[in-house]
Amino acid sequence: MDFMPREASIIRTLVELADNLVEEYDVVEVLCNLSDRCVETLNVDSAGVMLASASGDLQVVASSSDAMRSLELFEIQANEGPCLDAFRSGEPILNHELLQNDLRWPRFTKRALDDGFHSVHALPMRLRGRTIGALNLFRISQGSLTANDVLAAQGLADVATIAIIQHRASLEAYELNDQLNQALNSRIIIEQAKGKIAESAKVDLDQAFVLLRNHARNHNLGLTDLCRYVANGTISSVSIDQFTPPTPRR
Amino acid sequence: MLLSDDHSKGSLCRTDDVAAFIEETQYALGEGPSIDAYLSGRSVLAQNLRSLSVPHWPVFTPLALDKGIEAIFSFPVRIGAVRLGALNVYRSETGALSTDQRSDALVLSDVAARTIVSLQAYAAPGTLSQEIENGANFHFVVHQAAGILSEQLGISVQDALVRIRARAFTDDRSIDDVATDIVNHVLLFDNDLSNEDKD
Repeated sequence: MDFMPREASIIRTLVELADNLVEEYDVVEVLCNLSDRCVETLNVDSAGVMLASASGDLQVVASSSDAMRSLELFEIQANEGPCLDAFRSGEPILNHELLQNDLRWPRFTKRALDDGFHSVHALPMRLRGRTIGALNLFRISQGSLTANDVLAAQGLADVATIAIIQHRASLEAYELNDQLNQALNSRIIIEQAKGKIAESAKVDLDQAFVLLRNHARNHNLGLTDLCRYVANGTISSVSIDQFTPPTPRR
Repeated sequence: MLLSDDHSKGSLCRTDDVAAFIEETQYALGEGPSIDAYLSGRSVLAQNLRSLSVPHWPVFTPLALDKGIEAIFSFPVRIGAVRLGALNVYRSETGALSTDQRSDALVLSDVAARTIVSLQAYAAPGTLSQEIENGANFHFVVHQAAGILSEQLGISVQDALVRIRARAFTDDRSIDDVATDIVNHVLLFDNDLSNEDKD
């Protein structure tokens, strides 16, 4: 049992995330990093963050994998599943094993099993009595999160919440709804830019996202800022750094 | 209030003469809350125009006070990177909007954004309200398709959104379906607009 490396890794993740929040940062990028780190540090295979818009419907803002994203989108469209329940009740869903003929979420469960997931967890993102979204953790194998994993996961969900609330909070007294609206619009900007890059670089949308994230990092730009420039034509799509060497994916 | 970088402008709808004043004054001066909301992409909240701590506009503010405006709020109307304008709300007394009012304003600005795209796509009356009633915002696939189409045709993302919208109306399909076909390269648009229902 090597608890130490796990704990060290979780602490490192929290420090890294907290460090991100000190200066100007990109909310969607922080949430994407958070999803990736959840997979690395917790015993899960995919992670994603959903946020509620001002009208109250949930939207996917970050996912660690494409399979995760499409399953989360399916969940929202089907209007049933662990993330929605965690969001609506404000209570975590832990160690829920997915079994055929599930009565609680029949459509979600069938799709999740088809996608190869066998257990799910969803943690509400809460702030002052209000739930603003959910952190979703899906596993390919059945099995439970340990009590320590759950604590760590809730800690990460809380950091995600702070990332949204604190964004530019020092500049102006924006309310939660403004911050959520801003985060969701960032995600739309990113999708528009992904479309442009996918077309110009002749790659799929996931690869386009990787290219955009890499370019933002290489050039020290915020992900949303870069995507806005690409989407509005300030930065030409062809000037985005390409894969070197080409990395076949899928 | 519609805004654009090339100074073209227009009013989508307004409720009274004061609202008309707010728009026209800002167009003329090139300063004011809507212009700030448009440029920054963030809500601009001036709950007391007489206070120095709110964002102030040296020419606009005194004119607004003369008109009896004591508080003014502007919300950006946009779809991702596409900036369309700002939604303005004003009060004849000082005071902040409640959380619910601000939340409603954000929802309304999204509706306004979709209305603009639909109008540009020559939507039949009633189509949009039905769609909004049926729920949900544009899904991600629509924004991805707009990016792809913009690159294919060498047009702006905004124009691409309008073309997708128009195509959905013409073919009597959902905008998601049309967008999915674009993403999967099943549906290719002709760069020659004469084949489309847009002149």
